[in-house]
Amino acid sequence: MDMHFDQHISRQFNEDLESLKTEMLEMGGLVTRQVADAVEALANADSELAEKVLRVEEDIDRCEMEVDEHATLIIAKRQPAASDLRMVMSVIRIARDLERVGDEASKIAKMAIALTDEGSAPRGYTEIRHIANAVRKMLNDALDAYTRFDVKSAMATLAEDEQVDMDYRSAVREMVTYMMEDPRSISRVMNVLWTLRSLERIGDHAKNICEQVVYLVQGADIRHGNEQNLR
Amino acid sequence: MTSMTLNAGAAVPAQDKPNSATDLSNKPATESTSVKTQEDIAETVGSPFCDEAKLRMRNVNVFYGESQAIHDVSLDIGRNQVVAMIGPSGCGKSTFLRCLNRMNDTIEGCRVEGDLTLDGEAIYGPKVDVVPLRARVGMVFQKPNPFPKSIYDNVAYGPKIHGIASRRAELDEIVENSLRRAGLWNEVKDRLDKPGTGLSGGQQQRLCIARAIAVSPEVILMDEPCSALDPIATARIEELIHELRENYTIAIVTHSMQQAARVSQRTAYFHLGKLVEVNDTETVFTNPEHDLTEAYITGRFG
Amino acid sequence: MTDLTQSNLTQEQVRERIESRLASRHRKEKIFRGFGIASIAFGILAVVVLFTDIISKGSSAFVQTDIELNVTYDPAVLGIDSVDDESLAWANFDAVIRNALRERFPEVSGRRDKRELYSLVSNGAGFELRERLQQNPALLGKSETLWFNADDDVDTYVKSLSKSEEGFLGRTSEQKAEWIKSLLATGELEKRFNTTFFTNGDSREPEQAGIRAALMGSLFTLLVTLALSFPIGVAAAIYLEEFAPKNRWTDLIEVNINNLAAVPSIVFGLLGLAIFINFFELPRSAPLVGGLVLTLMTLPTIIISSRAALKSVPPSIREAAMGMGASRMQVVLHHVLPLAMPGMLTGAIIGMAQALGETAPLLMIGMVAFIVDVPHGITDPSTVLPVQIFLWADSPERAFVERTSAAIMVLLAVLITMNTCAVWLRKKLERRW
Repeated sequence: MDMHFDQHISRQFNEDLESLKTEMLEMGGLVTRQVADAVEALANADSELAEKVLRVEEDIDRCEMEVDEHATLIIAKRQPAASDLRMVMSVIRIARDLERVGDEASKIAKMAIALTDEGSAPRGYTEIRHIANAVRKMLNDALDAYTRFDVKSAMATLAEDEQVDMDYRSAVREMVTYMMEDPRSISRVMNVLWTLRSLERIGDHAKNICEQVVYLVQGADIRHGNEQNLR
Repeated sequence: MTSMTLNAGAAVPAQDKPNSATDLSNKPATESTSVKTQEDIAETVGSPFCDEAKLRMRNVNVFYGESQAIHDVSLDIGRNQVVAMIGPSGCGKSTFLRCLNRMNDTIEGCRVEGDLTLDGEAIYGPKVDVVPLRARVGMVFQKPNPFPKSIYDNVAYGPKIHGIASRRAELDEIVENSLRRAGLWNEVKDRLDKPGTGLSGGQQQRLCIARAIAVSPEVILMDEPCSALDPIATARIEELIHELRENYTIAIVTHSMQQAARVSQRTAYFHLGKLVEVNDTETVFTNPEHDLTEAYITGRFG
Repeated sequence: MTDLTQSNLTQEQVRERIESRLASRHRKEKIFRGFGIASIAFGILAVVVLFTDIISKGSSAFVQTDIELNVTYDPAVLGIDSVDDESLAWANFDAVIRNALRERFPEVSGRRDKRELYSLVSNGAGFELRERLQQNPALLGKSETLWFNADDDVDTYVKSLSKSEEGFLGRTSEQKAEWIKSLLATGELEKRFNTTFFTNGDSREPEQAGIRAALMGSLFTLLVTLALSFPIGVAAAIYLEEFAPKNRWTDLIEVNINNLAAVPSIVFGLLGLAIFINFFELPRSAPLVGGLVLTLMTLPTIIISSRAALKSVPPSIREAAMGMGASRMQVVLHHVLPLAMPGMLTGAIIGMAQALGETAPLLMIGMVAFIVDVPHGITDPSTVLPVQIFLWADSPERAFVERTSAAIMVLLAVLITMNTCAVWLRKKLERRW
């Protein structure tokens, strides 16, 4: 199925849809940057960068509201149907996911500040870095698949979430072992755990975005394991 | 369905969509909406048939003299179902609708081929009398067309000519019931003897619906019933269609896709005299199977 | 969206161009309106001239100069001794009139003068006396004072006196003019409402000539025409418009109907003569035959106008009725016909008006005959108003001039009445949808 949103009789409609999509993708770019910065701040104990992440978070919230408002206007004015409708719906949903990713990124940034204050580099950073790379790639791939209406790549990205979940679980087990070994490190390791948790959530959101790519292109709702809906 | 499949000709039916996500094309959109010749429409996609069909049409062809208006259309209309027919002007949806109660008979040079049955009885059988047929399959037209008679006489006309009511009291009851069911009773009960043409457009159309249901038809055909009405009157009619669905089978032709989406359970998309797609209305309006349907309902023709 | 403007003109340039042509456009519009007003004015002028001429000429025919005489039903003079049909037929009523005149003017002597004197009174006066005596036999031997129609020459002279001092003598001698003046002075000669004109048939004598026979003839003829042409025309129109298949035959019929409407009416007269009189041997000069011929003539008009009326019925009404399951006949009878009726009636009345004014075909079937008796049925010999007008216009007597105009006025009155009926019927039957 080809997707083309530039062939409406109404040129204005083309432009509306195009700018809605662009807005959302720009928001995506911003959020991806946030995740990268937050992880960076954590790894390098860079509290300044972490502060910046917290500031940018507000922009992301504003972006989400704007995307929502424009989507609402398109629905009200154009009553989109079929692929146009799916386009608008997916943009709304993805924007929400992106906003949550932004929230997770700011949580990581807060952890980074907390961990920086505590000083010494704790264990578990390797796992964080590993999982962070994986979810950042997922997020990038998901948005990329959306841009190109690429279901194949979206499905591939979607499958990666399982690996992330597995990595997360093993990292958690490892962290639990640390805590049992050295109860004094519990509070620090808890921060690492929260960070891992956030990264895992970002992976889930990336997965949601992939599902929206499938919904947009094929009209099949495969959320919550309903992959049998895929045609 | 890719643009290649369509342009390559009619050989590949539309159902042969790739089953897995692996075969999806992401080529830039080029010519898929330029599919506008009849050859490109191979056969109806979706689900044109249903189990409990009230009206069953198979391989219907309609000709006006030499030109063919309907090409090989097969479609079922289920009992107590609202089927919407949409499509660009001149796509044959009205022509098709008018085949269902043989309103095309009056048009000079119009020829209908194929099997059309109502409850298994042939509509175009050699011995079929159109009078009882049209009593069973009522019709509401694009322009509200009440007779230039009183409101009462408008509704009572059908029962009178078909001899349904023998006594005045019986007739009164039919008139009141029909007007009530058409949601018009409260508005006109005090002026039943006033001309029906004095009502507003929306009221006139509801009067026409009351007139149609006064003979207790099994099927009601509606040919763009709201095209001459304002949105409020349209909403009333749509609400009425929704209520009528319990007792009648309804086929509605409409130019308003939103209306088709609102009132119908199934939607049939016609294009250049061919039935392109029939599907549940939800499917048609969120995820149509055929590119032409998609292009039409999203406003991409031009 | 600058690429949407097609030419490179600025809005100012466009406006300038429009304004530069505005004056000539307004002028043309005024000229056009002027033409319209001028033609309407011409039409009104023509009507006014026509009516003034006819009314000024014809109005005097509605009065008639009567003369008062004291007559004595003297059996000796009459030459009878009892009142019965046979003796009345023989009785010399003219002598009674002559006696009465001689009594009024005892000084007149000499054959020529006496003849002159007798011609004061219409020679129909004798018949009047006979009728009076027949109705009232007791009058025999008695005398009474009665008003008689004066002769047409007297009438003409008396009427001309009101226009000029000396009046128009014409065939009237100086001597007779003196008698008339003396009679006028004593009130024995008086202008009274001309009942004869409305009660009598045609006559060689203008003062006895009336249009009753022609009016009745026209009425009977029109009745026959209406009774035949309306149902036939409407039925034909309904069949052609609603039921007939559209093929070469119906096309041919349609063309022929249109052609028939353009056929000169005299041809229909010839046809009537050949078919109705020569072949079917129907009576000559009868309204029946006239009606048949006029039916042939008006049928195309009625069919064409009825078809137009049927065509103007909105198809949505037909569809609505058909969609209810009405049969074709029910569609036509319940819905189409009531809506088309006003148009059909108008067409029919126009056709009737046309038939009323028709002369030529009636000449061919003998309705030009001199008919004195008022017809009582559709087979009685009769004539019609336009033919009567034609006959009178041809007569030499001066008094027929005003009667011709008066007859035209009656004809016009009938026509206007018919048209008023048409308008009224239209208004009454017209229904909006």
